[in-house]
Amino acid sequence: MSDKKAAAYRLGIVTLVVLAVLTALEYWVSVGLNGSPVFLLIIALIKAGVIVQNFMHIARLWREESH
Amino acid sequence: MSAVTNAHDHQEAHNGHELPYSAQLRNNRMALWLFCFSEIFMFGALLSARFVLWGNARPELSQVVGLITTTVLLLSSFFMNRAESAIAHDDRKTFLSGLLMTAFLGLLFFIGVVVLEWNIFGLKLELFGVEWFGHLKPTDGVLGGVFFAMTGLHAIHVFSGIVLILIVWNNGRRGHFSAEKHWGIEATAIYWHYVDIVWVFFYPALYLIGKVG
Repeated sequence: MSDKKAAAYRLGIVTLVVLAVLTALEYWVSVGLNGSPVFLLIIALIKAGVIVQNFMHIARLWREESH
Repeated sequence: MSAVTNAHDHQEAHNGHELPYSAQLRNNRMALWLFCFSEIFMFGALLSARFVLWGNARPELSQVVGLITTTVLLLSSFFMNRAESAIAHDDRKTFLSGLLMTAFLGLLFFIGVVVLEWNIFGLKLELFGVEWFGHLKPTDGVLGGVFFAMTGLHAIHVFSGIVLILIVWNNGRRGHFSAEKHWGIEATAIYWHYVDIVWVFFYPALYLIGKVG
């Protein structure tokens, strides 16, 4: 497997782990701690940011990157 | 005019009207992101409606079902990303299997919402201390109305995403994409991740924030 391909697959796995941890955290904060809505929305914003950056590759919009 | 000149002119005219692939790709990306941006207003309006009409209350929903459907959708995004990375590196086997996994998980999410949460078949099942089928109806005041509006609009997007993924999978199976040209896959992936992001905000708004009213 080429280095670039392995790096792309690795980034996907790391992103999935981060999203899983954040989802577990928001569940625990809500169900276990009765946490504040603001904290839950901040977690949601972080999750959305991670998806936009690593899955949707928003940087391609201004990087002139082709296939 | 000779046939050779005619062919040359035709080629010139063709080149004059068609943008190079890199320029097309740039325009396509911008257009799709603008489309996603425009949809923020629609989903944002529903999210606002939830906070205005529900305040610090929320309907009684199964936390376990909510967590499972959310996990399934996040997993589907992972496989979509894997499929896109695979075609970018000419790994056709992983590309096709990744798309099928994404469609399957998307379908599971859809079933989770429609069959479990909406309970369209009117079923009842309590297993491991969890009530697996919801009992909220669209006519249950603002709780029901807002819940069905939010999950309904999102479910339509999930369903159309599944259709797109299956179209892309079918085209990919017939060899339509390459490592150099796969805008169709990139576009489907962006759309699918966008649908995932919407749920990232809907999940806490519907299941986690507020007290059962």
